[in-house]
Amino acid sequence: MKKTLLATACLALGVYSQATLADLSVAIAGPMTGQYASAGDQIRRGADMAIADINARGGVLGEKLKLEVGDDACDPKQAVSVANTMVNRNIVFMHGHWCSSSTIPASDVYNEADILMATVSTNPQVTERGLQNIFRIMGRDDQQGMVAGGYIADTFKGKKVAVVDDKSAYGKGLADETAKAMEANGLKPALREAITAGEKDYSGLVTKMKQAGVEAMAYGGYHTEVALILRQAQQAGLNLTVIGGDTMTNSELVTAAGPAADNVLFTFSPDPRKNPDAAPVVEKFRAAKVEPEGYVLYAYAAFQLFEQAATKAGSTDYKALEKAVRGNTFKTVIGDLAFDAQGNLATPGFVVYRWQGGAYDYAK
Amino acid sequence: MAYALQQLINGLTLGAMYGLIAIGYTMVYGIIGMINFAHGDIFMVSAFIAITAFTLLAAADVTSIPLALTFVLIVAIFFTSAYGWAVERTAYRPLRGSTRLAPLISAIGMSIFLQNAVQLTQGARVKPIPPVIEGGLELWSTPGFTVQIGWSQLLIIVTTVVLMIAFTWMITQTPFGRQQRACEQDRTMAGLLGVNVDRTISLTFMLGASLAAVAGVMVTVYYGVVDFFIGFLVGIKAFTAAVLGGIGSLPGAMLGGLLIGLIEAFWAAYLWAEYKDVATFGILCLVLILRPSGLLGRPEVEKV
Amino acid sequence: MSTVVFAHHGMTPAERLRDAGWIAFVALILGVPLIGLTTVDVGGRLAVDTRFGLLAVAVVAAFAGRLALRWAIDSLRAHKQSKARQHTADTLSSRARTLSMVLGWMALGVSIALPIFFSDNRYVVDTATTVLIYVMLGWGLNVVVGLAGLLDLGYVAFYAVGAYSYALLSTQYGWGFWEALPVSGALAAMFGILLGYPILRLRGDYLAIVTLGFGEIIRVVLLNWTEFSGGPNGISSIPRPSFFGLEFTRSAPEGGHSFASFFGLEFSAMHRLIFLYYLILVLALLTHAFVSRLRKLPVGRAWEALREDEIACKAMGMNTTNIKLSAFAIGAMLGGFAGVFFAARQGFISPESFTFSESAIILAIVVLGGMGSQLGVVLAATLLVLIPEFGRNFAEYRMLLFGMAMVLIMIWKPGGLLSHREPTLRLRDPRAKAATTEGAQ
Repeated sequence: MKKTLLATACLALGVYSQATLADLSVAIAGPMTGQYASAGDQIRRGADMAIADINARGGVLGEKLKLEVGDDACDPKQAVSVANTMVNRNIVFMHGHWCSSSTIPASDVYNEADILMATVSTNPQVTERGLQNIFRIMGRDDQQGMVAGGYIADTFKGKKVAVVDDKSAYGKGLADETAKAMEANGLKPALREAITAGEKDYSGLVTKMKQAGVEAMAYGGYHTEVALILRQAQQAGLNLTVIGGDTMTNSELVTAAGPAADNVLFTFSPDPRKNPDAAPVVEKFRAAKVEPEGYVLYAYAAFQLFEQAATKAGSTDYKALEKAVRGNTFKTVIGDLAFDAQGNLATPGFVVYRWQGGAYDYAK
Repeated sequence: MAYALQQLINGLTLGAMYGLIAIGYTMVYGIIGMINFAHGDIFMVSAFIAITAFTLLAAADVTSIPLALTFVLIVAIFFTSAYGWAVERTAYRPLRGSTRLAPLISAIGMSIFLQNAVQLTQGARVKPIPPVIEGGLELWSTPGFTVQIGWSQLLIIVTTVVLMIAFTWMITQTPFGRQQRACEQDRTMAGLLGVNVDRTISLTFMLGASLAAVAGVMVTVYYGVVDFFIGFLVGIKAFTAAVLGGIGSLPGAMLGGLLIGLIEAFWAAYLWAEYKDVATFGILCLVLILRPSGLLGRPEVEKV
Repeated sequence: MSTVVFAHHGMTPAERLRDAGWIAFVALILGVPLIGLTTVDVGGRLAVDTRFGLLAVAVVAAFAGRLALRWAIDSLRAHKQSKARQHTADTLSSRARTLSMVLGWMALGVSIALPIFFSDNRYVVDTATTVLIYVMLGWGLNVVVGLAGLLDLGYVAFYAVGAYSYALLSTQYGWGFWEALPVSGALAAMFGILLGYPILRLRGDYLAIVTLGFGEIIRVVLLNWTEFSGGPNGISSIPRPSFFGLEFTRSAPEGGHSFASFFGLEFSAMHRLIFLYYLILVLALLTHAFVSRLRKLPVGRAWEALREDEIACKAMGMNTTNIKLSAFAIGAMLGGFAGVFFAARQGFISPESFTFSESAIILAIVVLGGMGSQLGVVLAATLLVLIPEFGRNFAEYRMLLFGMAMVLIMIWKPGGLLSHREPTLRLRDPRAKAATTEGAQ
């Protein structure tokens, strides 16, 4: 604590220089506080483990890594502030941010400062602005929506399906793409609704779906609301299946929704925990009492990506790093990563999962 | 028709909850003329206390629902009114007699503080408990749609009505009520006539907080999921309800709460759910333009 | 009024101990449900966990803290009393005025020199820019709340109108920053009048809740009207302002110059940041000059008169409707300008930036600064931006400290950090007037 205090004091005085730091600084940023703090927590756990492992191997190009943590609370303005802090701390690599609405403005800052970043934000806009420094180690909302929409049209053929979102950039993007894909596959959404995240009462929506005879709900948004909708649906005597996106990987959903969580399906990249190469790392996480769910292994993989790219480039210089990332394939705990010209994953895969008794597995 | 009835039940439940919290706003406003922005967060604290109490009971294998509810209510009211008292003592009393806006800012600060204190001590994750009261009453069955009212919904509505009557009685009939109304009209004069003004204000805060505590327990029973952020939206809605009904008026707060619950439910049911809040605030503006001191508020007498 | 529970000084040690013991007891009661007990997730179910050790620490801390606080308050009061005898009130107030003059010029000097000393420090320049945006917003809201005495809880609506006007005008119609600035300001002012007109009959807190509602309505519409505002996705790639037609780009455009190539400098992203900083500094100073002039004009005096006594204003035959509307419109316009700058700096806006909490922060700046005080706004804006920034090192304690600071500052200085709520122009004897206004609610 004393050291960081001192560092800020120096920073504020503007006498901060790279010479004071011997290590190589890398960073993560995301919602460490606020409503989505549990996602930030996953990222931090993954990153901590990755940095410890890399340093145990002797660091990157002989230099030890030092992790900086930025908290943007999913607020775009704070995200820019965090980005500027990180630029000042001379980081060479950033894993973040988490919310698309934070990643978009922050990436402009990193771009100007020549800092490479790998993000898990899924909004298409993140990589569609011609920035060279940003790579996405996860699929995009439209790809996710396509998989989900196809699956729904297939499984719920002839049945009534509602499409609901929470009016966030992520949720609406996902819901729109899902609805589009459903229609393309010949299933018109019976209802198209939006809710306000953070409210507790969704009985109105539930009643509306019950009236319309809806059996399944495609949802774009976060897990907290899904848990509430499921509980209230159960209370109203409505048997509802929910199909959501990658945020449903959070085990909070099971705690909050109870047994009704077994009605939740979601799309996510192929489970990294099933990747045989990842087995030792997964074991290690479990030994440290961290379940490597959700974004934990993604954070781990982001730093593996950095380590290998730096080794291949032989330097941590931005230009060299960027070229190395663009031109190579990397072996990580979430599988082999290669990127297209925009910085998206070349082979993104989305699979449909189902929660079952407190764990998720591929849906049949 | 069945659909409308079901939405009416939903709206009433929600409205009753808003009403309970709105009374806290209205009482505090009546007596010291300030908007207690931290009231929503007091409600949130009580929901956390309820979650802990329910979990304790589950661990102690208490299965009787009435017993559990009584215990949780008592615990929640006790601790929450302690919080109401402490908030008034630390953040508002030192500011009594200063400008009108100073306590407002202090209240906003208090609200931020409470939210983060709870996040720090209880964690950022949502806290769920298994449903306490399950099942309900089937009121009307039409082909394809059954109107039902859950036991927990019924509990909320009944509790609210009972509390409403009890509070109105207390304010109009008891010595404390008289002191409270005296302080509302003129604090200095009430003080000169032997009313302990500080004590009356403290008690008002504690009463407002205990209603918030009841609302907190009800939310825990009905929704079963609590997080540190729930106070904010509910607080704003309840405050709107208090103003709509005429701030300072107890029946007004209840009426305002019910109206807002119903507007939300029916607007979302028949029109565009995403513009629900626009409707709420739009109607509030309309009402205030026509009746500048709310539905049941007394028009302010301007004295020079 | 003081913070003291048993408020008389010269307490005996026994009384002090009893007082601190009482506080510790309160801390114990408050601490049991939140600190002493907590619920943890064990395999999908909650279980209660106890932390009585931590609770004990908290209670002891409350006890010790109370003793220390009592001691500090008592010695401070004794100090003050001995000091008060040395100065008459008159020299104090005139000294305060010269002090604030000096402080004002010093602040100006520091803000002009800042980017020169920190020309390679992104973070400092950028944070300073944020401070200035809030200063400008604070000055704008000061017109409405501080001068005209109308409580506005939805000021962020005008900020949003300004930001979205510029974003749409520039991305859809290719308008430049300087063309869009007056138009967006005018639009925001129009919204101010639009909101102000129907609700002028409302008083005090009724006005507050309607403005709050208006702010929410604007945000919800922006969030849902996707075709118009991009909905939750917001608007990205908003063009940045140029330096008299010179863009801040790495490579010069075809047949032209970029800022760097025109001045023969090596490209640096800092150029734009520093330019933006000076831009908002100039905008803020213009705002300041504008508001200061207005305060001396009849309309400004009318605002202050309205704040002090509306009935007296009416009795004097003043048109209160027009006075209120002008305050709303001018406050809204200044908010709109700040919004335009915000959009230009961020390059990306979405409804998330315009929530109620933002309104609350801006209002807090005005009140913490001392209503009506221009320099106070600067001080409060600096504090409210820097506390969370410095707090980043305390990670999760950051916002906790922020909330606590707001309460403590208010208790310490209920009138605001620099409170001198007196009319800009006065006829005679300032002290008598100040004393009466100070007491009024």
